[in-house]
Amino acid sequence: MSFALAGVGLTHTNGFTALADIGLQAGQGERIALIGPSGAGKTSLLSVLGTALRPTAGDFTVLGAEPWALPAGTQKALRARIGTVHQAPPIPARQRVVTAVLAGRLGQWPAWKSLASLVYPADIPGARAALARLELADKLFERCDRLSGGQLQRVGIARVLYQAPELILADEPVSALDPALALATIRLLAAEAKARGATLVASLHAVDLALGCFPRIIGVKAGRIAFDLPAEEVTEALLQELYASEGGALPTLASEPRSAVHAAASDGAGRAACC
Amino acid sequence: MLLNPADRDPAATRRLAALLAALAILWPLLQAAEVKPGALFAADNLKVIGGFLAAFLPPETGIEFLGYLGKATLETLAIATAGLALAWILAVPLAYLASGAGREKASLNPVSRFLLTLLRGIPELVWALLFVRVFGLGPAAGVLALGLTYGGMLAKVYAEILESADPRPARALRQAGAGRPAAIAYGLLPQAAKELVSYTVYRWECAIRASVVMGFVGAGGLGQLMDQAMKMLNGGEAASILLAFMALVMAADGLSHWLRRRLEKPAAPRAAAFGPGMAGLSLGLAAAVLASFGFLDIGFGALFTREAASSMGEFAANFLAPDLSGEWLLKVAKGAWETLAMSAVGTLLAAAAGLLLALGRPRFLFGLGLNALRSVPELVWATITALAVGLGPFAGTLALALHTAGVLGRLYAEALENAPAAPNQALRLAGAPRSIAFLHGTLPEVFPQLLAYTLYRWEMNIRMAAILGFVGAGGLGQLLYFELSLFHYAQASTVIAAMLILSVTVDWGSAWLRRRSA
Repeated sequence: MSFALAGVGLTHTNGFTALADIGLQAGQGERIALIGPSGAGKTSLLSVLGTALRPTAGDFTVLGAEPWALPAGTQKALRARIGTVHQAPPIPARQRVVTAVLAGRLGQWPAWKSLASLVYPADIPGARAALARLELADKLFERCDRLSGGQLQRVGIARVLYQAPELILADEPVSALDPALALATIRLLAAEAKARGATLVASLHAVDLALGCFPRIIGVKAGRIAFDLPAEEVTEALLQELYASEGGALPTLASEPRSAVHAAASDGAGRAACC
Repeated sequence: MLLNPADRDPAATRRLAALLAALAILWPLLQAAEVKPGALFAADNLKVIGGFLAAFLPPETGIEFLGYLGKATLETLAIATAGLALAWILAVPLAYLASGAGREKASLNPVSRFLLTLLRGIPELVWALLFVRVFGLGPAAGVLALGLTYGGMLAKVYAEILESADPRPARALRQAGAGRPAAIAYGLLPQAAKELVSYTVYRWECAIRASVVMGFVGAGGLGQLMDQAMKMLNGGEAASILLAFMALVMAADGLSHWLRRRLEKPAAPRAAAFGPGMAGLSLGLAAAVLASFGFLDIGFGALFTREAASSMGEFAANFLAPDLSGEWLLKVAKGAWETLAMSAVGTLLAAAAGLLLALGRPRFLFGLGLNALRSVPELVWATITALAVGLGPFAGTLALALHTAGVLGRLYAEALENAPAAPNQALRLAGAPRSIAFLHGTLPEVFPQLLAYTLYRWEMNIRMAAILGFVGAGGLGQLLYFELSLFHYAQASTVIAAMLILSVTVDWGSAWLRRRSA
């Protein structure tokens, strides 16, 4: 069991209910895509899984522990086993890429090593290897404010690859990448999860990417789970209903919204091309 | 270090070189500043400072003393207000001449720029010391000294504020045939008015602190009273004066905050440029300035008599022939080095202490501590640290560090609050401890800002370090005080020139470091 939620709700202090009555379970090594219109609660759900937000109702266990019942030290150790790819890469602009990638293991390193790494990078080969998988090895010693938005997003992914967590959470991890690179990067994340037996949960804007690369699809709408099905069983009608509020066109990998028919047609090809 | 050269950090050599260079500079500075933490705990020093601090309680509350205290407080307030009024009168025409704003060709006026550097480069305390020689003890020296130094500072900043405003409206007016005064008044002032007023109010706050300090050389006010109390080691009186002083500074702080907040409010739509509130404020300001001059009873008439002019002329002439003998120059160079050491080491200690205090929790408690450190001027700290570690540069270094830690701590805390939170939170989510997440996620974001604050403060501290010697803390100040009290004007003139050169050099150095880190 990777994580389990039962009756989980999240109500913000301003009274807005972001999540309501979420029941969800995932085994270790599962690969799950979260899809749904913007504002549906995908990011909130990932925040709860990543222990960034404490649910205001229900039971939640992750990697065999109840994170909010743990003492601070144990909670840190638990968090070090969860890696998050954030939508906006949370990396200081003036930091060098090598330092930003190595920061993935700050939760695992002893304090002296974290401090020493500010003076001289502790594991240059490790950072280079993680970056090489995203074709960014040549940027190793570059400063982050010299990178493009897409490159910076991939540095954020390299950081999580270097962290090597048991649970990978990814919030719109390829939103700043062009279609070809987005596909390759999602494949990389999926392959990484498969190779290490890690669980992967990614929220995705592009429906075809989700259907093509993930065995399990969860549709989220208005803070609730609309459907939770194997990718093959997600039908055109379900998708149309999920995105009804967005004006009928399904969001896909290409930048311009394609028609639903088109999306369904490319669906099979995408799946074959992916995993 | 590693077999594969590609896996070596290319920045490491440069970093190592920078570190070695920093150490090579810092070590002799530490030596020159005579940093001896042991002196803090030496038995006889502990006895002196312990006895003095013990006498702080209870503070003196005798009716007669409180009368003196009240009068001195008013005098300090009046010196600051009158001095700033004088500075303003001086600054407006100087800023107009020095600024490139509203000019069609950006020709800077080198004469007025030089005059500004001269006025600012010589600390107000030195001006005060000189004026006390000419006009005798009393507030007149303080008012004039403030007027000159702050006139220079206000003029420089006014000129820069006008230059940084959008030049297009003024340029359009010039091209339509308007003269430069009209182009500035209609094209630039509306944009810059708020900033100009805000800076002036901030300077008034500084003038209050400065006028206390000038009392130490006999220019009246709380400082003079404090000087007497310290010389007699009267802890009770010193405590009362310090409390009165902190209250005054905090009240000025509050008033200035309130005034600046009022500036934030949008103007009401009405035909007249001034509303009733603005008119009331202006009247109040005029009344305060008049009352200040009236209270101080300076008798400016006496300043402009023939006698005063000739005595001033004679006095100034003494300074035109500085002593440039090799022996004296060597002594001055040693003093300058000691002053540089005090300012650099003091600022570094303050940066470290300020950062720790800025991070301290609970916030309000540490905020209070920072305010207390900040509201006591360096010179007052120096009289206390001199008791704690004995006379010499270390006392000056500590005094600078204590006051500057309060200033920097507050600035750092604000910068840290405004830093983006996401990088730090992401690291905490990945299990990093709080301190490590701060070092990796927050510090890199705010570092250039913290460095800029620290360097600006260093520029101020070099001027301050030059005068801490007046209370026996070594460096150029001690030389100047000594030579002036022996009427050795040629030697004193050399020291003043050295102060000027030192402060200009540090300005350059700090600007260079800021550019490098940007």
